Amino acid sequence: MYACIHCREGSRQALLNLAFTFSPRVEDTATDAVVLDIGGLERLFGSPPALAERIVRLASEAGLRAAIGVASNPDAAVCAARGLGGIAVIPAGQEARLLAALPVSLLFASSADSPRPTAEIEETLRLWGIRTFGELAALPEAALSARIGQEGPRLQKLARGAGCRPLLAFSPVPGFEHSLELEYPVALLEPLFFVLSRLLHELWAGLEARALATDELRLRLHLEDRSADERTFRLPFPLRDHRACLKLMQLELEQRPPQAAVTAVWLAAHPVEPRALQDGLFLPLAPAPDKLEVLLARIANLIGQENVGAAELLDTHRPGALRMKRFTIRPPGSNPQIPQLRNPRPFAKSADSTLLAFRVFRPPLPAQVQARQGQPERITARGVKGNVVSLAGPWRTSGDWWKSDGWDRDEWDVALSDGALYRIYCDRAARAWFIEGLYD
Amino acid sequence: MYVELHARSAFSFLRGASLPEELAACCAGLDSPAMALLDRNGVYGAPRFHLAAKKAGITAHIGAEVTVECGVRIADCGLNELRTPHSALRTSFVLPLLVRNREGYRNLCRLITRMKLRAKKGEGATTLEEVAEHAAGLVCLTGGAEGPLAAAPAEHTAQLLERLVAIFGRQNVYAELQRHLDRQEEARNQAVVELARRFHLPLLATNGVCYAQARQREMLDVLTCVREKARLESAGGLLARNSERYLKPAAEMERLFADLPEAIANTQELSSRLNFTLAELGYEFPRYPAPPGETMMSFLRRRTEEGARRRYHPYHERARRQIERELALIEKLDLAGYFLIVWDIVNFCRDHGILAQGRGSAANSAVCYSLGITAVDPVGMELLFERFLSEERGEWPDIDLDLPSGEQRERVIQYVYERYGKLGAAMTANVITYRGRSAVREVGKVMGFDEAALGRLSALVGAWEWKDPKDTHERLFREAGLDPADARIRKFLELYRSVRDLPRHLGQHSGGMVICQGQLDSVVPLEPAAMPGRVVVQWDKEDCAGMGIIKVDLLGLGMMAVLEDSLKLIRDHYGEEVDLAHLPPDDPDVYAALQRADTVGMFQVESRAQMAALPRLHPAKFYDLVVQVGIIRPGPIVGKMVQPYIKRRQGREPADCLHPSLEPVLRRTLGVPLFQEQLLRMAMIAAGFTGGEAEELRRALGFKRSEARMREVEVKLRRGMTAGGITGQVQDRIVSSIASFALYGFPESHAASFALLAYASAYLKCHYLAAFTAALLNNQPMGFYQPATVIKDAQRHGLRIKPVDITRSDWLCTIERFRIADCGLRISNGAGSKSAIRNPKSEIANEKCLRLGLCYVRGLREEAARAILAERACRPFADIDDLARRVPELHKDEITTLADIGALNFVSPYSALHDTPHSALPIPHSAIRNPQFVHRRGALWQTERAARRAGPLLETLPESDAACPLLRMTPDERLSADFRGTGLTIGKHPMALRRDEMNRLGVTPAARLASIADGRRVRVAGCVIARQRPGTANGFVFLSLEDETGIANTIVTPDSFEKHRIVLVEEPFLLIEGVLQNQEKVISVKARRIQALPAHGAAPPSHDFH
Repeated sequence: MYACIHCREGSRQALLNLAFTFSPRVEDTATDAVVLDIGGLERLFGSPPALAERIVRLASEAGLRAAIGVASNPDAAVCAARGLGGIAVIPAGQEARLLAALPVSLLFASSADSPRPTAEIEETLRLWGIRTFGELAALPEAALSARIGQEGPRLQKLARGAGCRPLLAFSPVPGFEHSLELEYPVALLEPLFFVLSRLLHELWAGLEARALATDELRLRLHLEDRSADERTFRLPFPLRDHRACLKLMQLELEQRPPQAAVTAVWLAAHPVEPRALQDGLFLPLAPAPDKLEVLLARIANLIGQENVGAAELLDTHRPGALRMKRFTIRPPGSNPQIPQLRNPRPFAKSADSTLLAFRVFRPPLPAQVQARQGQPERITARGVKGNVVSLAGPWRTSGDWWKSDGWDRDEWDVALSDGALYRIYCDRAARAWFIEGLYD
Repeated sequence: MYVELHARSAFSFLRGASLPEELAACCAGLDSPAMALLDRNGVYGAPRFHLAAKKAGITAHIGAEVTVECGVRIADCGLNELRTPHSALRTSFVLPLLVRNREGYRNLCRLITRMKLRAKKGEGATTLEEVAEHAAGLVCLTGGAEGPLAAAPAEHTAQLLERLVAIFGRQNVYAELQRHLDRQEEARNQAVVELARRFHLPLLATNGVCYAQARQREMLDVLTCVREKARLESAGGLLARNSERYLKPAAEMERLFADLPEAIANTQELSSRLNFTLAELGYEFPRYPAPPGETMMSFLRRRTEEGARRRYHPYHERARRQIERELALIEKLDLAGYFLIVWDIVNFCRDHGILAQGRGSAANSAVCYSLGITAVDPVGMELLFERFLSEERGEWPDIDLDLPSGEQRERVIQYVYERYGKLGAAMTANVITYRGRSAVREVGKVMGFDEAALGRLSALVGAWEWKDPKDTHERLFREAGLDPADARIRKFLELYRSVRDLPRHLGQHSGGMVICQGQLDSVVPLEPAAMPGRVVVQWDKEDCAGMGIIKVDLLGLGMMAVLEDSLKLIRDHYGEEVDLAHLPPDDPDVYAALQRADTVGMFQVESRAQMAALPRLHPAKFYDLVVQVGIIRPGPIVGKMVQPYIKRRQGREPADCLHPSLEPVLRRTLGVPLFQEQLLRMAMIAAGFTGGEAEELRRALGFKRSEARMREVEVKLRRGMTAGGITGQVQDRIVSSIASFALYGFPESHAASFALLAYASAYLKCHYLAAFTAALLNNQPMGFYQPATVIKDAQRHGLRIKPVDITRSDWLCTIERFRIADCGLRISNGAGSKSAIRNPKSEIANEKCLRLGLCYVRGLREEAARAILAERACRPFADIDDLARRVPELHKDEITTLADIGALNFVSPYSALHDTPHSALPIPHSAIRNPQFVHRRGALWQTERAARRAGPLLETLPESDAACPLLRMTPDERLSADFRGTGLTIGKHPMALRRDEMNRLGVTPAARLASIADGRRVRVAGCVIARQRPGTANGFVFLSLEDETGIANTIVTPDSFEKHRIVLVEEPFLLIEGVLQNQEKVISVKARRIQALPAHGAAPPSHDFH
């Protein structure tokens, strides 16, 4: 005999937990239904109706409103649970009669064992005026098969409650997580790292036993003030080296230590297939990925996360606009990706022109500029002072007018009496002058 | 002095942000004497620019930016120069061309036409070889960022420039310099100056203008995003670098080019060399090829004479005098060719059996009447010729022809193309501008609003014709869940407001054709329309009129197609020949139906407003119908002309003609001036105006009225009246009456032409209901009602309608002989109905019924239907398997739909034999006694097997258990299937199936409302067949509810509408309780309580005028 627990609300995990309380053979049928093999459970829980009542009671204690269907095969049990509601126990041989009044739409709900029948078949049955299991069951089988194919007799069998498929028993995947309650709150990082190292060891043992690696670690620290501190470490590639992971965690915790003493630690790894890669013989040596990751974390620790990475030019006319993206090493064999700018920076290319290097001041240097008829005449800034000897400009750019941080500025290239060549600009909205950089 | 010689307007479609008028006004404001407009690949904005410039007192130079294909990738160089804001790889550049003289203009038009006609709509490029062929009379600039010198790699620029100099001549190539404060551009400028010195070419400063004001750069950025299908946020380098492309004052340009003063000076020099403006367009209307020995005028005179003798019996003196007067004027204005060409088109229609009727003011002309162009006798109806043509006006007359919409009209259009050549005739364009929803959607998308917000916003904007004063944008935004105080939303609103009315793309006008003597492509560029085989000019109707290009409107009128189809059906099935020109003039059945407002399907008189006015106006003769057509329109309703007329018509108010001298003019409309012709006559009689002056007065007071002009004509009017002895109060009344109705008046000639069609449609409906209904159903969509309503109305009038049946139905609806004996049915003529459409010729007496065509089967392709018909013609289908086998074109969903609507119920080998008793095949007795071989479910059961082909070996095997195990459909299921599969039902009305339930709810059937006293509280229920919120009704909403007995009209106040908006707009069935208004046989229910009736199955679609 099989029992189906059907519950519209509630999580799938809760349903599975409920089912495993009663039977070791459980099928994860759908998001709203699980099926249990209840054969041989009479001596433990009593007759099927009694068992069904116990399931409902336990479900209700867990806050679930469950409907139970018990039948001689899994499909009939599912249909009974979904269609009849409450507790429905169908004696063997009575399936067709007791299920006859159920709407055929039940057959089109998702289930684990087979793909959902097509919407086309559902539409055909609707056009035929077939609304119930009984009406579908009564159709001549051969004629039905000639019309909607093999799916017809299968659905008909289900409608008669005569399914004969085996139960697809569900075996849960082992979880890669470990936790440790500390005997006393740990306020210092050093002892905490010791605990983390132990937990990572245990995790790694589990991963290695299954020849897996991880690309994400989740750390939850329960603090003395009853709050929890959660951190996620996303790794750029699957790692199998627990020392590198520990180092990453150390750096992160040093940069942002927990707000209170730690009372318990929970650590979980997301298991993935390890990376199998061989470096090319003639490729230049690059730092090992795990070492690079640790190095980057170290640098970030020193100068701030937002200042580490590879600069990438943005597709905009805004002068000097760039963003930092995560620094990665290109895997051997892949093509370099050059950002496609739709309107590239001006670039003098004629053969006889000499290229000037431009040294950008970041941030730009505020300056005092004396101007006549809009043209700068004398410039004073920190370390810069002089009269304008010659100039070119203004070069005007403006944009992002739909945002609050739009820009509008006039640039000038000026040669000062001190002999240097600067690029200065006037922020037209703020009416302020800056030196943007120096031509070498 | 600086002259801007390179500017684009919004008519460069998404490459410019200002209208030509704005540019011209701005240019005049800067005290510049001239400006050149160079739109991209066309002269789309040129007429408007020309007219605006004329008004502003500046010279409008014409030109265009032409895309030139290089054939090879000229950008064979470094990475940076390969990419541009417009394409990844440049294989083309944009060549700015200015027109120097008429030859240049002709060449430019031809060059653009050539390039456009060979490419897809909106695309195309020319080549340097073609440019060389058309270079005479043109001046070439070297362009800005998209120009030839910028596009070519540095090592090839000299070569390209040399080529341009060879093509245009040294004096006609100018090295163009633009300064938008951009480093890259300046580097290019230095190179251009260097090249110009080498080639001894003059420098020319321009600003590559894209908008009039600097702030409009934002709009240009938005349009760029629309063009590139990008969002502002991610458009990056596609957007403008700064806002410098505005129309700059001379002083600023001089400062920018202080180092190159000759570049500024040359603008004036070049401007003085550009001698062409659109004033000398060189358009000439084609001459009609008169036979040898005749002039066009003598030929026209002869044809008119012949026609007049046919039209007038007898050809009386008044008509003769009028025709002579008209011919004299036509001769004086040299318009004989125009009349002959229109006559030629009408002749073509007559020869090919295509109905054609002139509409509009042409019906004022006795010459048009004699030539057969119009159908109304202007002499008999005392219409005023001056409304059509006058010497003073100096404008071309306007002749519009109504033709049956669809294929017939296309035939006439193709005839004109053939007759005048592909490059001699074209349709006028229709400039599609950003409005309501399209503006919201496109701007919103560019601003990055999500799909849900866009949907909500566009649903709110422009949902109804009536604009509630409370419907401000702020409120709409709040309703759509967007905060109007948010900066981004405020910016959106600002952009939305300024994008409205900017041109979006070029469409095709519904019927305006322009024809030219010689080549039209030398007058205006032509381009392909979206519709294959059509060519359009780059200007719209108004631009063509403004440029003095004469056009003939060939308008498709659904009702003309209905009339034409009806006549054919009557000829084929009734064996009668009906001549629309000679219908009995005062048919009592027609007037009885009109007086009862029993007018579903009739031309112009079927709308809700017309139906409400018909019982009050009680038309009893043709002129009443003319008034009916002319008066029930938004204008007269708003102008409060309807009530006084109705009161006088009903004798509740005396007819007052303002002044005894005006009595002959106003008597027939009972003293209420309704028509424009009356206005003209009033001015002529009371103030002694000439016909032309009177027409001038009408225009001054018409829609585009300006204060100054109105004051001017009023003074003239008063002076005239005082001289004629009309003074004091009477004068004031006449002036105010003329001023108020001039805005809304309708040409009497137009009303008369439409009234003729209305009368013809009413006559055919009353006497040949089957033919008329079939024609009406075959020309959908048209008119005010959905086919479902037309069918129910016909059934209430006693017409039997048969379902779609693949053994009988054609693609279109057809007429069949009605075999009472075969069906064993007793037929009553719409028992109990008060139809006026009952007469000895009725369909019952003639045994005619209507068979629905396969075109009504939703999802059935015409190709598949034609395949069925072809196979059926060979031999009948033995069964559904046979059908599926022999018509492999049928898709499974098509055959299923056919089964679902019952179209396969009669498939049998004997299906074709019912009407042929002498057939050699023996027909089983059972087949004759019970022709319904299979019910719908049975057919569905079979189709499912037939659609799943078993393969050639097994497919002919009969099924072992032939009996269908499925139950018949219930009436409700059949109804649902009918609406699902055809959008209509010929069975019982959905409300009939719920009548018991309605009786319990105390609902009064629509037909019984007439017998209930005014002021009583009633409940009505039905399916909503029309929802209207007309602009003239101050926010009131009119709903028409249909049940099995007829239509109940209900009125919903603006407050109730606000309260029940969702129910009223979305629910298909409504129950409305309210007070019955039963006044002067006009019945409506003023809604107090409104609730939805839960729908049982499908409902017919409603016709909503949102």
